[in-house]
Amino acid sequence: MPRYLAGRVAQALLVLWAAYTVTFVILNVLPSDPISLQLEASGSDISQLTAAQVHDLKAHYGLDDPLLVQYFHHLWGALHLDFGMSLTQNVSAGSLITDRLPSTLLLSAAAVVIMMVLGTSIAFLATYVQWRPARMLLARLPAVGVSLPQFFVGLLLIQVFSFSLTWLPATGTHGWRSLVLPAITLALPGSAMLAQLLTRSLSDTWREPYIVTARAKGLSRWTIQVRHALRNASLPALTLLGVVVAYTVVNSVVVEVVFSRNGIGQLAQQAVLSQDVPVVQAIVLIAAALFVAVSLLVDLLYSLLDPRVARAGRAA
Amino acid sequence: MSTSHRHRTTRRLAATAVSVLAAVSLAACGSGGSSGSGAGSGTSAAGGAQDGKPVPGGRLKIAFWSDFQSCIDPNQVYWIESRSVDRNVADSLTDQDPKTGKIVPWLATSWTVNPDATSYTFNLRKDVTFSDGTKFDATAVKTAYDGLHDLGAKSTLGVTYLAGYKATTVVDPYTVKVDFATPNAAFLQATSTTTTAILSPATYKETPEARCAGKIIGSGEFTLDSYSAGKSVKLTKRTGYAWPSSLIANKGDAYLDGIDVSYIGEDSVRVGSLTNGTIDIAWPRQPITSADQQVIKASGATIETRALPGISGVLFPNVSAGRPLADLQVRKALYKALDLSSYAKTVYWDGYPVAKSPLTSTTPYVADESAKLAHDPAGAGKLLDAAGWKLGSDGFRQKDGKKLTLTYINTAPSPGDQLVQDQLKKVGIDFQIKILTAAQLTPTGNAGSYDLSPGYLTRADPSVLGSSADQAVSKQYTAKFSQDPATATKVSELFAKGLSTADPDKRGAAYQDLQDYLIDNGVAFPLYDRLQTAGVSAKVHGFAWTSESFLRANDIWLAK
Repeated sequence: MPRYLAGRVAQALLVLWAAYTVTFVILNVLPSDPISLQLEASGSDISQLTAAQVHDLKAHYGLDDPLLVQYFHHLWGALHLDFGMSLTQNVSAGSLITDRLPSTLLLSAAAVVIMMVLGTSIAFLATYVQWRPARMLLARLPAVGVSLPQFFVGLLLIQVFSFSLTWLPATGTHGWRSLVLPAITLALPGSAMLAQLLTRSLSDTWREPYIVTARAKGLSRWTIQVRHALRNASLPALTLLGVVVAYTVVNSVVVEVVFSRNGIGQLAQQAVLSQDVPVVQAIVLIAAALFVAVSLLVDLLYSLLDPRVARAGRAA
Repeated sequence: MSTSHRHRTTRRLAATAVSVLAAVSLAACGSGGSSGSGAGSGTSAAGGAQDGKPVPGGRLKIAFWSDFQSCIDPNQVYWIESRSVDRNVADSLTDQDPKTGKIVPWLATSWTVNPDATSYTFNLRKDVTFSDGTKFDATAVKTAYDGLHDLGAKSTLGVTYLAGYKATTVVDPYTVKVDFATPNAAFLQATSTTTTAILSPATYKETPEARCAGKIIGSGEFTLDSYSAGKSVKLTKRTGYAWPSSLIANKGDAYLDGIDVSYIGEDSVRVGSLTNGTIDIAWPRQPITSADQQVIKASGATIETRALPGISGVLFPNVSAGRPLADLQVRKALYKALDLSSYAKTVYWDGYPVAKSPLTSTTPYVADESAKLAHDPAGAGKLLDAAGWKLGSDGFRQKDGKKLTLTYINTAPSPGDQLVQDQLKKVGIDFQIKILTAAQLTPTGNAGSYDLSPGYLTRADPSVLGSSADQAVSKQYTAKFSQDPATATKVSELFAKGLSTADPDKRGAAYQDLQDYLIDNGVAFPLYDRLQTAGVSAKVHGFAWTSESFLRANDIWLAK
């Protein structure tokens, strides 16, 4: 097990390094000059500056070094969680991230909880209920959930729950009440995917020989579903959950714009459009780290949930 | 629409240029009155005490659309929304009357300007303190102006406002002299802006980054409580405030206990928040659409409107050799092909002011060029025919087998651009819209790979046009490619003339000539006047605009 873990961690670090390097190359290949971009962002142009001022600015942002030197300099900084100064905002990229990440993580966490509850419940009911029309309806529901655009769902929820019923706030980041609508919006596509997959694998599991055995033993439908079917069917769903968790962070951009939440998603959108290299770098690295961490966690959970995986690992 | 534009050329009896006293300084600009003219001003009474007796108390909740720059330091921000907040936190030496464009006393009681506009002397108020208790005096002004100058490129507006800055000298504790190496007649207007707001000397000991993040102390009627970039701003009333500019009815403390600013990016959410009472003022960047205006009015709220002073929504051409717009006749045809009144009506609403000049209707010294901008598609066709561009079978014009294609670059698709495409198609011009990211725009522009590019900028002085169109001061591609060398020499000459005299009449004449020249030579194509709109709840009284169409909260009070 420790060897397996060490291997996985090394792999994760490799992925992070690759993500960082690829972003660096792409962003630096794009035809633009960070200094004029920065001035552009501030409504001015490079002509207002003397050559000496331009040189000072370049030195200030470390842009006068060769690209390779810049790369190692930034990589070294990134290792110490120092991503450099934002090109368009007068603060460090790191402080922008630490300022915005908590609200996005909270939103993602809430969305993941809703996703698991909603996704599992629908799948559970779709396979447990015996009345055919209800079964059909529940099984088709995920397709609808996946095809609804998030901005549309968000605006609809705001219209109904904020403006008409005035139950929950439409904007802001104050308290749990402002978290409800954005979390639901963010959770919807993920829970639909989860429900669809889990429904499939639950139905498959019900056809397994050991279920027949369980029924022959006289166990109730409920006991079989909870004790035998769900545990076995949840393995593929767990893999998907890993992907979907990271995807909530990436997908937060739409939800954050609609609900006026000032998080990583909004920051990413701005930074990409204005080619704010340090900020984009930092965000990519964080997103990559999240993907890596979650998939590592999922792999480890596998062995806990399914003894077969753990045993295979030990044998190897 | 207003007839006041006609007054622009009025030969006002201005004081001799040698010693321009306070009230007369920028008098020649009668155009400013359009806050009510044609701008479709809202129905709620602006100007404090007119509608009932003000009631103190309550917090005003405003929602802007975005806080892109993420900076609140008045000396550094260019972002309009932050400047609206700053106007109520920091005071300036002078103020500018939104109706007349006149510069009036504020922290300075009077001033003199030398004839060639290189030296300004201000006499200061003696009863002003900053909110940290420090006294406001000549040294504070020197610290502030030197501090602003030291910011260099960090203050992109400051760089132009203080162009040619030499030094500020303390003459006596309440007299201060600002000297320039080159004439800067626009500086007097600059002293009325938030960019040159005087902050407490302690502020300038902070780093520019810390100031951006909210470490600023002003002498305004509110103090900055907290600023969280892109999220919120909280202002608290300052008790003992007694030095508003002469434009403000309320001579003492603000009526409001405070102001809460939030940022809502989605139009429909912002409008909904206004109509359901979560916020009191919805303040977007783009004019509120007529559909949203109806929703807002139906809820009992009103729409306040005022044109932003500065450069209109314009198109700058690329006249480089070999490109279609190198031919002046083609540029002239373009004026005739554009239907500006249907642009205003279609993109905005019926009654929206039609663009009349490269400067907006509230900019001092704006000229009325509408006769030269008249829609005449037949005339455009004739000019193009004469220039050798013959109508082909596909409906587009051709010359030597080449289609008359004009490439237009922008960062986001807009209905206005599509309308232009449609209008130009009617005379056989193929208007190609090329959407680029913000980061790609400048390199594409600098490479000259376009025929038309958009521009606008806010400042209540006509010299602002120079930042986009004067090759002598600007290396922007809009300046570089919009004029051939001969035209550029003449344009720069006219810009310099406007800046080299403090005499309002002479400035007025220079800017009239400049605007005529820009249109006659096809240097700028006005498309639309720029309106700032705000949805204002019925319980808000005393709403007021500054001359730069920012929020002025001194007179605002909330009905219980």
